[in-house]
Amino acid sequence: MNPHAKLVFTMSLVMGTSITISSNHWILAWTGLEINTLAIIPLISKSHHPRAIEATIKYFLTQSAASALILFSSLTNAWFTGQWDITQLNHPTSCLVLTTAIAIKLGLVPFHFWFPEVLQGSSMITALLLSTLMKLPPITLLLITSQSLDPSMLTFLAISSALIGGWMGLNQTQTRKILAFSSISHLGWMIVVITYNPNLTFLTFTLYVVMTTTVFLSLNQIKVLKLSTMLISWTKTPTLNASMMLTLLSLAGLPPLTGFMPKWLIIQELTKQEMTPTATIITLLSLLGLFFYLRLAYHSTITLPPNSSNHMKLWRINKTPNTPTAILSALSTSLLPLSPLIITMF
Amino acid sequence: MSPLHFSFYSAFTFSCLGLAFHRTHLISALLCLESMMLSMFIPLSMWPIENQTPSFTLVPILMLAFSACEAGAGLATLVASTRTHGSDHLHNLNLLQC
Repeated sequence: MNPHAKLVFTMSLVMGTSITISSNHWILAWTGLEINTLAIIPLISKSHHPRAIEATIKYFLTQSAASALILFSSLTNAWFTGQWDITQLNHPTSCLVLTTAIAIKLGLVPFHFWFPEVLQGSSMITALLLSTLMKLPPITLLLITSQSLDPSMLTFLAISSALIGGWMGLNQTQTRKILAFSSISHLGWMIVVITYNPNLTFLTFTLYVVMTTTVFLSLNQIKVLKLSTMLISWTKTPTLNASMMLTLLSLAGLPPLTGFMPKWLIIQELTKQEMTPTATIITLLSLLGLFFYLRLAYHSTITLPPNSSNHMKLWRINKTPNTPTAILSALSTSLLPLSPLIITMF
Repeated sequence: MSPLHFSFYSAFTFSCLGLAFHRTHLISALLCLESMMLSMFIPLSMWPIENQTPSFTLVPILMLAFSACEAGAGLATLVASTRTHGSDHLHNLNLLQC
């Protein structure tokens, strides 16, 4: 793509996100969301492949409908309460419509059907943007309005997201779809605690962004788009595959790694709020995700080749410096001992 | 609820249902999206008149500008789908199932 065009679209993404997360008026929040949608459409469809165009259409229809619903919910709230403040969204119909609209925007179950297909149709870096940056404005709106939203509906969305994200990820062989379902189940964990302690939601989101960015960048480095490619990828970058195993286990939430921190804190908060059955159910459902993360980790470190090869490591490799992946993979595996410090930061 | 508010609600709801239950063509989905935006433009335009706040007059224009941009982007995706899939039939969009 033309570098000037790419710069304009990327800056528009950053600007749209900044507008939404820093706004106090619903119209400005809606404006930021619209700018984000408009800016990422050409980024998804830039390869002009039929799959990319299909992903663009699906993304565009769902996100535009969700933006219109957000505007409608703020309009009905303005009729009944006379003001457009984001923190003062009090009318029950508005809260219900807003929750539905943000669930569509984020890809929560039962509005998740667009998400794996859109990620599958876009390139790895665009898929990374769709999973991390495009989720920030809707999560921010949910955080700001969290005190007036319905807790039982949010818990239903969260548990079903964890269920569907774990269960449907089991049958996937394309890595982008696996990451889409992992995103859906992580969003479930974020939403389950939002009415009780919104800071934990933001902490979970930040750690999720760090870990999933590491995985996306690592997969982009070794150009792995499906599991069968991952089986033979260790010869390209043995160290990256080893660290990717740790990052994937961190995404799964295994204890000495960073990914355990949000799950632990969320379970603690839910038990403090007398929501023990919810905590048990969502923990058990994250075991489904553990299975496909383990499968990915196994595939990334397997060294028995499918065909006999004479040498252990590819000798013609391109050594591109890979600073972001290095920093992020260090963060995504070793932040657990710093949890007291990190809790105070949110 | 006053009859006026009811008419705004029902206009938006019918457009939303039209978008949700679209059948064959992408263009009908885009038309329903546009009618959702239009059904919100009218109440937004009435807000500065009813509440005597002229500073709010910018908002319907802003909303219309963004919805026009969105309609343009939607039509661009319509053209792109016709180029790659041959038509704008939504049931042809099944390449990403696997």
